[in-house]
Amino acid sequence: MDLAEKLEILADSAKYDVACTSSGVDRPGRHGSLGSCAAAGICHAFTPDGRCVSLLKVLYSNVCSYDCSYCVNRRTNDRPRATFTPRELADLTIGFYRRNYIEGLFLSSAVLGTPDRTMELMIEALHILREEYHFNGYIHAKTIPGADPLLVEKIGRLADRLSVNIELPSETSLTALAPDKKKTAILRPMGQIAVQSAQSKKEMVLYRGAKPFAPAGQSTQMIIGATPETDRHIMDLTEGLYKKYALRRVFYSAYLPVVADSRLPAPHTAPPLLREHRLYQADWLLRYYHFSARELLTEDEPNFDPYLDPKCTWAVRHPAFFPVEINTAAKEELLRVPGIGPKSALRIIQARRTQNLGLAELKRIGVVVKRAQYFITCKGRAAAHANRAEIANALLDPKAFSVGMQQLSLDDFVPKALPDAAPAVQKLAARGVAADVAAKTVRQEALQCLTKRM
Amino acid sequence: MPYEANVTDVAYRYDGSFAGFLCCVFESYARHEIPSEVCSPEEGQLNLFGTREILADRQRAKRVAMGLDRLGPQVKDRIVTGFLSTDPGKDLTLLRFARRCFAQGPQAVQMLGDPDVAAAFAIERAVNNEAGKFIEFIRFEERDGMLGTVIHPKHQVLPLLRGHFCSRLPDEDFLIFDATHGTALVRRGGQVQYLTMEHYTPGTDEDELNWQQLWKRFFKALTIEERRNEKAQMNHVQKRFWKDMVEMQGSV
Repeated sequence: MDLAEKLEILADSAKYDVACTSSGVDRPGRHGSLGSCAAAGICHAFTPDGRCVSLLKVLYSNVCSYDCSYCVNRRTNDRPRATFTPRELADLTIGFYRRNYIEGLFLSSAVLGTPDRTMELMIEALHILREEYHFNGYIHAKTIPGADPLLVEKIGRLADRLSVNIELPSETSLTALAPDKKKTAILRPMGQIAVQSAQSKKEMVLYRGAKPFAPAGQSTQMIIGATPETDRHIMDLTEGLYKKYALRRVFYSAYLPVVADSRLPAPHTAPPLLREHRLYQADWLLRYYHFSARELLTEDEPNFDPYLDPKCTWAVRHPAFFPVEINTAAKEELLRVPGIGPKSALRIIQARRTQNLGLAELKRIGVVVKRAQYFITCKGRAAAHANRAEIANALLDPKAFSVGMQQLSLDDFVPKALPDAAPAVQKLAARGVAADVAAKTVRQEALQCLTKRM
Repeated sequence: MPYEANVTDVAYRYDGSFAGFLCCVFESYARHEIPSEVCSPEEGQLNLFGTREILADRQRAKRVAMGLDRLGPQVKDRIVTGFLSTDPGKDLTLLRFARRCFAQGPQAVQMLGDPDVAAAFAIERAVNNEAGKFIEFIRFEERDGMLGTVIHPKHQVLPLLRGHFCSRLPDEDFLIFDATHGTALVRRGGQVQYLTMEHYTPGTDEDELNWQQLWKRFFKALTIEERRNEKAQMNHVQKRFWKDMVEMQGSV
C-alpha cells in the first residue's frame, strides 16, 4: 500500500474526532529546530463541511481489537485497514508543516493489539519528531484507555496536549455501547494528566531544567445524540470535568449513524448539528462568561431552545436582571447582556473611562446592537423602545432557519435547508414543503411562542 | 490652546512614504489646520480648493516619529500597521488619529467611542486580520531547497508576516511574493530583504507535486459529507484566497 492511500484511510478514520485545535501554548521558534506555537492556535484550512483543519489529524492505525458499536473502526465493521510506521508519520508531519499546511500533528489510534502496544508505537513516532527532527510545532496526542501510567507519563513529555475521550455522556450508555471501555479506564489517566500537568507547571517556575508535561493541558470529547441524555446532564458533566480535571476544552460531536443497531438512532438520521452548536455556545458561556451550568438549564427545561441561543434564553428568563447601565456596570454584568462578548466588554470598560457611551459609540466598539439595545441603558436612558414581538424578532437565532441554494442543473436552483437548521425546518422540508417556506413557517411559530413567553 | 486647528479645504499630497506621511502630520500642526484630504501621488484627485505638495523632510519626520514613540507602543502600532492599508482614506484617518493621540495622550487608543479613534482602529484591525489570514492560508512549495509562495493581498501585509515566518522556519530560506503590490519578502541565509519583483513561476518539481497531491487527498478524506456546509466554509476562507491555495484547486 502506498503512503497516499494509507494517509487517506487513516485520515478518513480520524475525521470524526473533533478536537482539531492547536491552542494553549505559546512557544517561539529556535534555531536548530523547526516550528513555533501560538497560544490562540492557528487554523490552516477549512473543509467543505466548514470545519477547520489545524493539525494533521490521523490515526496511527485503524486496526482495532475493540468493538464499540458507535464507532466506524470497530472490529466487526468491514472497511479498509492501514497502519503507519513511526518514520512515515514523522516525515509526513514535517513535509506538511514546512509547507504551512498544518500547525502540527494530532495523533490518535485504534487499539492495535493491546493499549500498551499502541501507545508505544505512538510514542516512537513522537520521539522521532521531537528528538530526531527537532520538531517544535504543536502535538496533540490521544491516550489510549487502559494503557500503563508510565506510558501516559512518557507521551505527556512529548506532546503539547493530551486527551482522553469520555466517549458518551453517562456510564450506563458507555457500558451499553462500548463494552470494552470502562469508566475507570477513562477517568484514571484523566486524573493522572491533571495532576502531572499541574505539577510540571509548578516545577517549571521553580527549576530551570524542569521538563513540561502537556503544557497545553488536556481536553476530551463526547458523542451527542446517540444516547438519551439531556442537555442539562451534559452541561453538568462538562462543568464537573472543567472543575475536577482542569480540562481546557470539552468537545461535542453530533452522532452520525454509521451502523444499523437497535440501541442507536437509525441510519440516515441527520446528525443533531444545531444541538451540538447550542452545547458549544453554552460551553463558551461556562468558560468565558461566568455562567454556571445550573443557571442555563432548569429541571423543567432540561434542553436548549433550538431557536434561541443559550444566553438569550437566560436573558428572557431573567427580566429582573435588566436593564444594565453601560456606563457603570461591572464586567460580569456586561457579559450577561446578549450581544456583548468578552472583547466588547473589555473595550466598553476601557472606552468609558474617558467618555460617556451611547448607542452610536457601542456600535463602533463592536457590540451587536441589534440584540443588546433592548437590555441596556445608556446614561440612564433606555437605548431602544420596542414591543415584545419586535424584541423577540431580534433575538431569534437566524442559524436555526438558515436556507441555502442547491443547484440542480446549470440554471436551476432550489432552496435547501442547511444542515444546521432546526430539526423542525428539516422535517417540514423533508415532507416536500419548499425549504424557504418551511423556514418561514417555523420561524413564525417560534416568534409567537417566544413573544408569549416574554 | 496650542493644538487648536481648523478643518480646511486644502488637500495634502505627499510621496506615499511613511516619512512623507509623518511630514503631513508636521505640516498639519505647523499650520494649525486639518486637511480635507491626504493622498499619495497615484491617488491624487482633482480638488476645487487646491492641493499642497508636502515634501518629505527627514528632520521633520524624525521629530514626529519621536513624538509617536513617546505615546507608547499601542499608538505607534496602530499608525504603523494602519499605514500598510490600501484604503483610499487611510492617510487622513491616521492623521486625525495621530492628532487625537497627541492631544489626549496614550489612553486615546482606547477611546473607541471617538469617531477618529474608531476609524483608525478599524483600519488597523482590517490589516491585522488580513495578515492573520495569510499566516493561516499561505501554501509554500519547495524548489531547490527554498520555499516559495504567491499571495494576492489587499493590503501590504508582508511586514506583518515577517516575524511569524522567521520564527516558525528559523533555518529555512523562503520567499513570499505579494503579486498585488509587486513586492517580495525574501529570506536567504538568515538575511531578510524586501525586493520589488515582477512575477514568480511556481515550480513543477515531481517531488513537490507529490506532496501537494498528498495534501489534497488528506483534505478530501477529512471532509464529512453528511455535514457538508459550503457556506460555513466560505465564511472562514473567502473566495479571494482560494486561487493561491493548493487544496482548492481542481480535483485529486
